[in-house]
Amino acid sequence: MHWLEQDSDNRNDRTEARGSGSDQRVGGPPDVRRERDMSISFQLNGRPTTVAGDPARSLLDVLRRDLRLTGTKQGCDHEGECGACTVLLDGVAVRSCLTPVAKAAGRDVVTIEGLGQSGALHPIQEAFVELGAVQCGYCAPGMVLTAKALLDREPAPPRRQILEALAGNLCRCTGYLRIVEAVELAAARLRAEATPGSSHPRAPVSELGAPQRWVVGGDATRVDSVDKVTGRAQYVEDLRMSGILHARVVRSPHHHARLVALDVTRALDLEGVVRAMTAADIPGENGLGDYSRDEPILTPLNGTCKMQGAPVALVVAASPEWAQAGVEAIEAEYEILPHIFGIEEALAEDAVSIYPEGNILTTEAEAHGDLEEALDRSDVVLETRYHTTWQEHATLERETLLGYFDEKDRLTVVGGTHQPHWQRRYIAAALKLDTERVRVIMPPTGGSFGGRQDPWPFVATALATYGARAPVRLTYTRSESFEASPKRHPYRVRYRVGATADGCLTGIKVRVDANTGGYDGHGQYIANYALTASGGPYQYRAVDAHAQTVYTNGPKAGQFRGFGSPQSVFALESTLDELAERLGEDPLEFRRKNAIGQASTSFLGYPVAESLGYQEVLDSIRPRYRSLLEEAASFNAGSSSGGLRKGVGFSGMWYRFGKSGTLRIEAHAELSQDGGFVVYCSAPDYGQGTNTTMAQMAAEALGVPRGRVRVVNADTARTPDSHIQGASRATYFVGGAVCRATHVLREEILGAAAEMLDRAPIDLTLAEDRVLASPSDATEGVSGRVHAEGAETSVSLVEVAREFDRIGKSRKTRGVFDLSPLFPEDTRPEYIPLFVTGAQVAEVIVDTQTGEVVVPRVVAAHDVGRVINPLDARGQIEGAVVMGIGTALMEEYVPGASTGFGDYYLPTAMSMPEIDVTLVEVASFEGPYGAKGLGEAAIVPSAPAIINAISRAIGARIRSLPATPERVLSHLTADS
Amino acid sequence: MAKSTTLSREYLYPTSVEEAVGLLAARQGGARVIGGGTDLMPDIRRGKLAPGCLVDITRIPGLDRIDVAQACEAKPACEAKPACEARPWSVTVGAAVTFTSLRNHTFLKQHVHALVEAAASVGGPPIQNAATWAGNIVQAMPAADGAVVAVALDAEVHIVDEDGARWRPVESLFEGPGISAVDPTRQLITAIRFSPPGFGGSSSASEAKPAWGTAWRRVGRRPALALPILNCAVAVSLEEGLSGRSELSREGRSIKRVAIALGPVGPRPERMREAESFLTGRMPTEEAIARAGELAAGEAKPRSSTFRASREYRLEIIPVLVAQALSAAFARAEPTVG
Ligand SMILES: Cc1cc2nc3c(=O)[nH]c(=O)nc-3n(C[C@@H](O)[C@@H](O)[C@H](O)COP(=O)(O)OP(=O)(O)OC[C@H]3O[C@@H](n4cnc5c(N)ncnc54)[C@H](O)[C@@H]3O)c2cc1C
Ligand code: FES
Ligand code: FES
Repeated sequence: MHWLEQDSDNRNDRTEARGSGSDQRVGGPPDVRRERDMSISFQLNGRPTTVAGDPARSLLDVLRRDLRLTGTKQGCDHEGECGACTVLLDGVAVRSCLTPVAKAAGRDVVTIEGLGQSGALHPIQEAFVELGAVQCGYCAPGMVLTAKALLDREPAPPRRQILEALAGNLCRCTGYLRIVEAVELAAARLRAEATPGSSHPRAPVSELGAPQRWVVGGDATRVDSVDKVTGRAQYVEDLRMSGILHARVVRSPHHHARLVALDVTRALDLEGVVRAMTAADIPGENGLGDYSRDEPILTPLNGTCKMQGAPVALVVAASPEWAQAGVEAIEAEYEILPHIFGIEEALAEDAVSIYPEGNILTTEAEAHGDLEEALDRSDVVLETRYHTTWQEHATLERETLLGYFDEKDRLTVVGGTHQPHWQRRYIAAALKLDTERVRVIMPPTGGSFGGRQDPWPFVATALATYGARAPVRLTYTRSESFEASPKRHPYRVRYRVGATADGCLTGIKVRVDANTGGYDGHGQYIANYALTASGGPYQYRAVDAHAQTVYTNGPKAGQFRGFGSPQSVFALESTLDELAERLGEDPLEFRRKNAIGQASTSFLGYPVAESLGYQEVLDSIRPRYRSLLEEAASFNAGSSSGGLRKGVGFSGMWYRFGKSGTLRIEAHAELSQDGGFVVYCSAPDYGQGTNTTMAQMAAEALGVPRGRVRVVNADTARTPDSHIQGASRATYFVGGAVCRATHVLREEILGAAAEMLDRAPIDLTLAEDRVLASPSDATEGVSGRVHAEGAETSVSLVEVAREFDRIGKSRKTRGVFDLSPLFPEDTRPEYIPLFVTGAQVAEVIVDTQTGEVVVPRVVAAHDVGRVINPLDARGQIEGAVVMGIGTALMEEYVPGASTGFGDYYLPTAMSMPEIDVTLVEVASFEGPYGAKGLGEAAIVPSAPAIINAISRAIGARIRSLPATPERVLSHLTADS
Repeated sequence: MAKSTTLSREYLYPTSVEEAVGLLAARQGGARVIGGGTDLMPDIRRGKLAPGCLVDITRIPGLDRIDVAQACEAKPACEAKPACEARPWSVTVGAAVTFTSLRNHTFLKQHVHALVEAAASVGGPPIQNAATWAGNIVQAMPAADGAVVAVALDAEVHIVDEDGARWRPVESLFEGPGISAVDPTRQLITAIRFSPPGFGGSSSASEAKPAWGTAWRRVGRRPALALPILNCAVAVSLEEGLSGRSELSREGRSIKRVAIALGPVGPRPERMREAESFLTGRMPTEEAIARAGELAAGEAKPRSSTFRASREYRLEIIPVLVAQALSAAFARAEPTVG
C-alpha cells in the first residue's frame, strides 16, 4: 500500500532456488536424512524453493513469515478449524496451519499466489469476481484453492459434492451460495461447455468494455475483488514495516475481580521485551470516551475487572513470541469477587453489585394509549417470555491493527472500523494529543458485522505505538478474540399482547432486558433499538414499552448486525406467531391485517418518515409461502416421512436504519490532474462493499464509467468525518453526500468546459475522459462568435483540470446530505422513524427422534428502496440468511468456556439452504436514487422464521436460542 | 529464552518400517511417530507434547495401500457379491492411509458402509485429506469416528517395535481418554485389518446373498466440522439361510453376530455388550432392535459437555441411534428385505 514503506529485504532473497536433484532435499533419495535445522526443498507455485528452520513449524507460518506470501490467511489459532489457510499439496487441499513444513519436502505446493498472477485470472477466480462470491475476501484464497482441487479431480461435480468439498472452509459473509455458484460456473467454463458471457444468466458487467453510463441498478463486480481473489489485497496482518514490534495483552482470568497487585519488572527483564505498560502509563484519559463510558483502557491498580479478559497491561516486544513471554512474566494478583452472568440474577434484590450506581446502564420507555383498556377489550391476551444468547461476530479476520508514525509524524493506526474519526478522538483523549496529531486509516478488512466498532484495540495499539515510539502491530489470537471482543447482547423479552377474535392487534406491553456484560461498550444505545424493534411494523391502539440495558459479569456486548433489533424481533415475531396460532389465523395474513401503512401511526406513536414497503413485501412473498405450506402438509401426511416433520415459518420485521451519529454527512469529489475522478468519503468497507457502491453512485452522477472513479475511503487525514457507520446508513447518507458532491463537480466541469468551448453547458456532456459538445447545428457560440467548421467540439478533462488550476478554481467540490431540516432539533423525535422492512419464510425438517433440524429452503423478500447493486444486495441477504441459521440453530457463546471456531459453531456450506431472494423496490423519499439501507435488516427476520418453522413442525414453542438438537428434543418430549 | 529461539528439531522420513523402529529406538523416547499431524501439530503447539524428533511414516512405501484379499481375486470385487459371502475377504489398511482414501475406495464404498461414512464424518474434507485412520486410533479419543468404527469392525492393528511385530485387537488399545497402549515414541502401527463380521472362514458356497452389513449413525451440532454429540457404528451378520434363496426373508434368519460401538459414552470407544448378547441368536425384528437400543442406553455412561450435549440428551438418543443403525445394517445384510 502506498502509505506504508516496504520492508527492505526482498522476498526473493529468501527463496533460495535449488535444483530439484539437490541432495539437500528431505524426502529425496532414500539414504538422505537431515540433521538438526535441516533445509527443506519443494516446488512453490512452480518454483524450486528451499527453507530452513524447525521442520515442524507450520507451512502457514513459513509461507507468511519467511516467504512473505501473505495471500494464505490465518483465521484460527493453528487449529484447523477455519480453512482460511488452505493450500494445495500435490494438488490436494490441506490446512497449512496443521501441516509441518517438512511435509512439503519434495512436493508441489500451490498457494493463491500461484494462480492468476500473470494478468489473466484463473477461471475459478474469474467466476468468484463475476458472481459476487467475494465480500470481505478473507476466506477467498482458501475457497478458490479448495475449489481448484475439486475441479481438477472432478470436472463436473454435482452441487452436493461442491458443498461437501467446501464444508471445511468457513465464510462469515456470503452465505456460500455465490461461492457455490461460482464454482459451478467455473466448472462449466473449464469444461468448455460454456464460454464467458455466453448463455449463463449472469453475464458480467464489463468494466472494460464500452463505456457503460448507467451504473446504478446493474449487477456490478466489486472494485476490490480481483485483489482479494488473487491474495494481493493487503489486510493489516499482511502489511510489512521495518522495525515492527508486537503487542500482546495481559488480561484478567477472572469474571469479577479486584486487581490488587501488578508487577511488570520480570517482563521488562526479558531481552526481547521493549515496554510493559499499565494504567499508570496512560498520559490522558484512561477510558474509551463516550463510546463506552465505564470501560478503562487498562484496569488501574485496585480497580475492578468486570469480566474475564478485562485488560490490565500491555507488552510490546520484538516478536509475538517475546510479547507472549512478557505477558506470562507479568505478575498480577486479584481478589476474586462473586460474579453473575444472567439478567435475572443482576436484577435480583440482593444482586452482586457490579457498579456502585446499580446494575442498570440505561433505560428507554415509550407509552401511548390506554393499555389496560385495550387489553380488556381483547378476545385473546397472550403473555410470553423469550431469551436469546451471546453471539460472536466471528469474522474470519481476527482483530489486527498496526500503529506507526506517518510522514508527518502523526500517530497513525491502521485498522478496520466503522468510525475512523471517532477512533481518532478516543486515541487523542487517551494520549492527550491534539486530534490533528492522530490519524486512523481503514485498510481492506476481513468482515465486521459491528464487531470492529470496539475502540479498545485502536486505543491500545495507539498507546503501544506511542509508548514504544516504533511501529507496533496488535493481533488478537482467535481465543483472545472470543474472550475479549464484544458480543451480541443476550435479551430477555416479555410480552403481553392482545387481539380481537377477528385478528386485530389491540395493545402491546413489552419489557426488554439486554445483557451488556461487564462494560457499556455502546450498550447504552441498545435499549433504544431494542425498544423500537419490539413493536414492529404493526398497528396497536395502545403501547407500553420499556427496555433497559443491564450489567452482568458476562463478556462486554456491543454492536452486532441489526443493532439490537434481531433479538427483539425474534421475540415479537414468535409472539405474533403464537397469537396467530391461538386465533386460528394464517401467520402471514395476520401480519398483513395489522401492518401499518405509509400514513398510519406506528408503534412509536407517530408515522414513519420514509417510504414503507411492508405491505408490498408481504404480498410479494405470499405465493411462495403458500406453496411451501402445501408441500409441508403433504410431506407430513405422507407415510414415508418416518420421524421427520416439515415445518414452514414466517417472520416479518422492520428495522430502523440510518440514525447513528449525525444527520448531516459530507463527502468530497475531485477532478484530478490526470482527468480522473476521486471521491473522498468515510463509508468504511469491511467487506459489505461500500468502496464499490460509492464508486457506482459517483459514476452515475457524473455520467462516466465506474472505472474512471477512484474512491478514497475512511482515512481521517483525507476524508470528511461521517461519525459512525452503523445502522446500514452508508448508502443512504454517505451515498447521498457522494451524489451531491459529484453532481456539483459535474456542473462545475461543464461550466468551465462551456467557457473553453464557447458553448452553453446544456449542450455539453461528460464522456469518459472528455467533455463533448453535442453535434452542433448551431455554429454560433454563446459569446456570439461564429465557429468555423471543424472547430473544437470537445475538450479533454486533463485540459479542464488545467483550466481550473489556471483560473485558481478548486478542483474539489463538497456535497452534503442533511436530514436535519426534516427533523428540526426542537421537535426531533426520540426515535428517528426511518425504517426498512422485510419478511422471510423458512422451511425446516425436524427429526423428531433426535431433535436435529435442517433448513432446506429460505425465501426472503426485502424492501431495499431502489437497488444500487442487485448482485451485492442478494449477497447481503444470502449472507444474512445463513448467519440467521447460525443464530437459530447453532451459535451460542458460553462465557468462560468458548474459545474459538472449534466450540462455537458457525454454519458451514453444508448448512446452506436454497435461498430465494426478492428485492422489493419501493423507492425512498430522500435517499440517493431512491436507495435505503439493507446490510443489517436482512439478518433480522432469519432466525424467527426458522424458529417459527420448528415450533410449527413440532407443535411446541421454542422460546430460547439456539434451537440445538437437545433443546428441540426437550420440547418434543416435554409436550408429548 | 526458549520462547524466541527456534527449537531445533529433527524430521525424518524413514523408508521402511524397520528403519522407523530403529530411529525411534535410537532416540530413546525423544522421537515420535507422525502421521497426518492433525492431532499432533495442535498438541505440539499447545505444549502438550514436545518431541525433539518426528518420524514421519507417511512415505514408507506400501503404507498408503488398502489391500482387499479375497478368494476370488480373479473377479472384480463387486461383480462378485456371492464370493464375498462365500469366501470372506479381509481388508488391510496401511497406516498412512487417509480418511479421504478410505471414503473414496470402491470396494469399501460398496461393502463397508460404516467405515466409509465414518471416514466422511471426520472434520471436513481438508482434515480427511491429511488425517490417518491409524493416527485416529492412537489418539484414543472416546468419540473418535475412526476408533469407534474400528471397534465395531473388530479390527486389529499390526504393531511393530524393537521386540517384533504382532496383531492386536483395536479394542484392547484404549487405556483411557487419550491414552493408548501404543507408544508412538517406540512403536508404530503399520496396518489395520478386518474381515466381514461373523466370518471365521468356513462357509458353504450355496449361500448366494451377503448376510452381513454395517451402518453408521452420528449426531453433531452441525453437518460438518463438528465433533460428534454421539456416534454409533454397528456390524451384523445373520445365520445361513435355511431354505432356498427366493424364500429368504429377514424373519428367516437369526442374528449370528452383532457389534455395537458408541462414542462418547465412556472413557474409550465402547461396545454395548448387553445389547449385543441380547440380540445374538434372535430374529432381527423391530421389537428386538428397539429393545437392544434401550439396553445400550442402560449400559452407556455418557457425560455432559458444555458445547455438545448433556448426559440426559445423549441417553435419550442412544436408543434411536442404535436402532437406526441396526435397522440399516440388517437391511444391508438382507438387501431384498425392506
Ligand atoms: C479441525 C479438526 C476437526 C477434527 N474433527 C474430527 C472428527 O470429527 N472426528 C474425529 O474422529 N477426529 C477429528 N479430528 C481429529 C483427527 O483428524 C485425528 O484424530 C486424526 O485421525 C489423527 O490422524 P493423524 O494421521 O493426523 O495423526 P497424527 O496427528 O499424526 O498423530 C496422532 C497421534 O498418533 C500417533 N501416531 C500417528 N500415526 C501413528 C502410527 N502409525 N503408529 C503409532 N502412532 C501413530 C502420533 O504420534 C500422535 O500421538 C479433527 C481434527 C481437526 C484438526
Ligand atoms: S488457520 Fe488453518 S484452519 Fe484456521
Ligand atoms: S467473504 Fe468469506 S469470510 Fe468474508
